[in-house]
Order: sequence, then structure tokens, then C-alpha cells
Amino acid sequence: MLRVRDGVGEMLGVLFDRYHSPLFNFYCKLTGDRTLSEDLVQEVFFRILKYRQTYRPDTPFRAWVYQIARNARIDHFRKQKPEVEWEVEMSPAIVPTDSAQQKQEAELLHRALLELSEEKREVLVLSRFQELKYEEIARLMGCEVNTVKVRVHRALQELRQIFQRLTDASAVPPARITRTSEESSGV
Amino acid sequence: MKCENIAQLIPDYLHRSLKSDKIKLVEGHIAQCAECHAQVAIWQKLSLIPDEQPSPMLRSRFEAMLNAYEEGKSEKTSFADARRTVGTSWNLWAWMRAPLAQAAFALIFLAAGFLVGRHIEGDRQNNNGNTQELAALHKELVSTRQLVALSLLQQQSASERLQGVTWSTRLGEPDPEVLAALLHTLRFDASVDVRLAALDALRHYGDQREVRTGLLDALQRQQSPLVQIALIDLLVELRDADAVQHLKIFERTPSLNPAVRQRVEWGVRQLSRG
Repeated sequence: MLRVRDGVGEMLGVLFDRYHSPLFNFYCKLTGDRTLSEDLVQEVFFRILKYRQTYRPDTPFRAWVYQIARNARIDHFRKQKPEVEWEVEMSPAIVPTDSAQQKQEAELLHRALLELSEEKREVLVLSRFQELKYEEIARLMGCEVNTVKVRVHRALQELRQIFQRLTDASAVPPARITRTSEESSGV
Repeated sequence: MKCENIAQLIPDYLHRSLKSDKIKLVEGHIAQCAECHAQVAIWQKLSLIPDEQPSPMLRSRFEAMLNAYEEGKSEKTSFADARRTVGTSWNLWAWMRAPLAQAAFALIFLAAGFLVGRHIEGDRQNNNGNTQELAALHKELVSTRQLVALSLLQQQSASERLQGVTWSTRLGEPDPEVLAALLHTLRFDASVDVRLAALDALRHYGDQREVRTGLLDALQRQQSPLVQIALIDLLVELRDADAVQHLKIFERTPSLNPAVRQRVEWGVRQLSRG
């Protein structure tokens, strides 16, 4: 990273290799929108290039990247609308197919995750998927480590309830439309 | 031990940052307590959500950005190098301190001020030219996107065609050629998912006459109940004047899926009420 700070553009390529996939998944899990996630990852690398002078070598690089990533998303949604509510069209489509139960569960879980409040969702994604330590998350969000732990706990509680509700709802699908043979051979 | 006390330990337990005696404590508790057990279970279950792969487009966009940056940088350094050579050969500083040279500098700066002033004035007049150049650049960008969208829509693989549909939504202003391609995709694409995506993309251009006619036409051709229902919903949303008639004709189609038939009836009711 120090080399990026000195203006060596190639180093950014190495950073891209290391971080583009985790960042893409960070955004995917938070927003459920692939196109938007790609746009935001691009924005992050643009900002790394632009603001590389603000990186302080005594701080962990990962924390700095996630700080940029958070800000990029906040700025994006500020530009779009003051508060973006979760819309049904944005949810990962649950196609009525006979796919494995596990896949169905994963989709319901993701939907449940997206129904959580912004704060709870983020803390879960950072601690579970991005595998950031509670200390790192606390620094990122500017709060105490214990606050982060409490948030994780509450987020899990709420996630469980939402997931339960979604599972119950999908167990008795209203007027299920079966796919014709033409459809299932489609993709 | 009470749930409350254990609950404080669970986040650290999940991150495997507890000491072994505490781990035993937590595990002993969750073996008996359904509530805390469920808490740990849902954490583990989250691993079911798969990691996603970004499209190759992400890397090419990144590389394009990096290239632009490198180009900009090399121009800057060559300029700096040129300045350095001039500076050393003239021994600039000693020369500048002579009184005669100072007077000369004053004159030079005055003249330069004049020239800069005139230059700025000229620039203002040139501004129109710049705007035109920008407009041309913008146009080129749009047409490149259009080209990408059109060529992707003709690909063999369904996922690439899906990408084509996504690209078409980035165009902003609809182009007749792209709209025609999207309508063609909606009517004839082999994959239901691609057809649905095309329908979603067309939603933005619902105020255009050709799009509406295309939608009505597509309804008669669709075999897939999913697309049929999505089409009916969109027609109701657009509140097209001709839609009721078409829906009524469509309703008479024999061997219509019962769910679709229900939706058509609903659609007709909605439209005739408004």
C-alpha cells in the first residue's frame, strides 16, 4: 500500500486482485444488486487512487479500504434518495423451481438479511462475511467494541425472526405456477 | 448460568475468540437452551449464502481507469523533466537576482499578464466549441454502449444476453434500434429469464408508442405463464387505452393457465375501472 501512496499505479492492480472480490461480495450482500455492486467497487478503487495520500501507514490497510467502501455506498444512496427502502423488485428473485432446498434456504436467508435495518445488516455482513474483528468494526463505525457485540446479538435475533417468517410463508406458496418444459430448458 | 450472561459471550464464541473454559461454558449452555442454540445456528446458517463472482466487465473497467491514470501521469512527468533541464543549464537563481534582470522580469510579467487576459477572453469565445466537443464525446460514449448492448443481445449464452439487457438500461435515452432489439428479445428469446429481464428494461420506456404496441403483440405470442403475468401487470401499470381490448381477446385463448386467466380478469377489471 505504501507504494500506492508513492504513486505507483501498478500496485493498485495487486490491491484489485486482493480486494475486488471481497468488496463485491460486501456490496452484494448489503444491497442484493449486482450491477450496483460492481459500480461501487469501481468507485472504491477510484477513490483509493485519488485519496491515496490520506492513507496513514500506521493504520491497518483493510480498515482504510472498508472505510472508503462504506463512504462510497453512503454517498451513492445520498445522491439517489435520502433513505432507500428495500423494494421487492430488488430482492433476489425466488424462482418457483424444484431447486435444492438448500438453495431456497440461502435465498430466503439473503432476503431476511436485506430486511434487517441498515445498521444491523452492515454489522452482520462485516463480522460474518468480511470476517472483520469486532475491534475493527468498532473503529470503522466509531463506537465501542461492546456496542458492536450487542448489535451482532440483536441483529441475529431479528434475522432469526424474519427468516422464520419467510420460511413459514414460502412453505405454503399461494397458487404456485409450475414451469412449462419450454421454460425449464430455457437457461 | 443465565441466558443473559451467555448472550454476552456468544459474539466472541462465534468469532472463536474465547478461552477454552468459556467455550465449554457456552457449549454446555447451548446444548440445553433452545433460544441460544438457535442464535448460534442462524450464524452458521449464514454461510449458506454463496459468494458471488463479479463479471469480467469489472476488471476491464478497472484496467481502463488505471490506463487513463498512467497516461495522465506520464504526460505530467515528461513536462517536469523538460523544466528541470532548462533550470540547471541556465543557473536560473543567480541570474534572477541581478537588478537589471528584475526590471526585465517586471516587463515580461506585465506582457504575460496582457497575453493571459486576452487568451482567457478568447477561451470564452471558444467555449461553444468545447461544449460541442463534449457533446460529441458523450454521443460516442452512448453509441458504444448501444453497440455493446446490441451485440450482447445476440449472444449464444443466456447470461450474456441478460448482460445485454442490463447494458441497454444504462443508455438513459432510448434508441429506436435498441428498443426494437429489446422487443425482439421479449418476443423470441429462448430463455424465460432473459425475456423477463427485457420486459423489466422496457418498463422504463412504457410511454413510447412502439413499445406499447410491441408489448401488446408480445402478449399474444407468449407461451410462458410467468412472462404472461408480468406482461399483464405491466400493461395494467401503463394504463394503455387499447390494453383492455387486447386482454379480452387474450382471455379467450383456450388452454390458458388458470393463474394467468385469473390475472387477466383482474387486469381487465383494473383497466375498465380507471
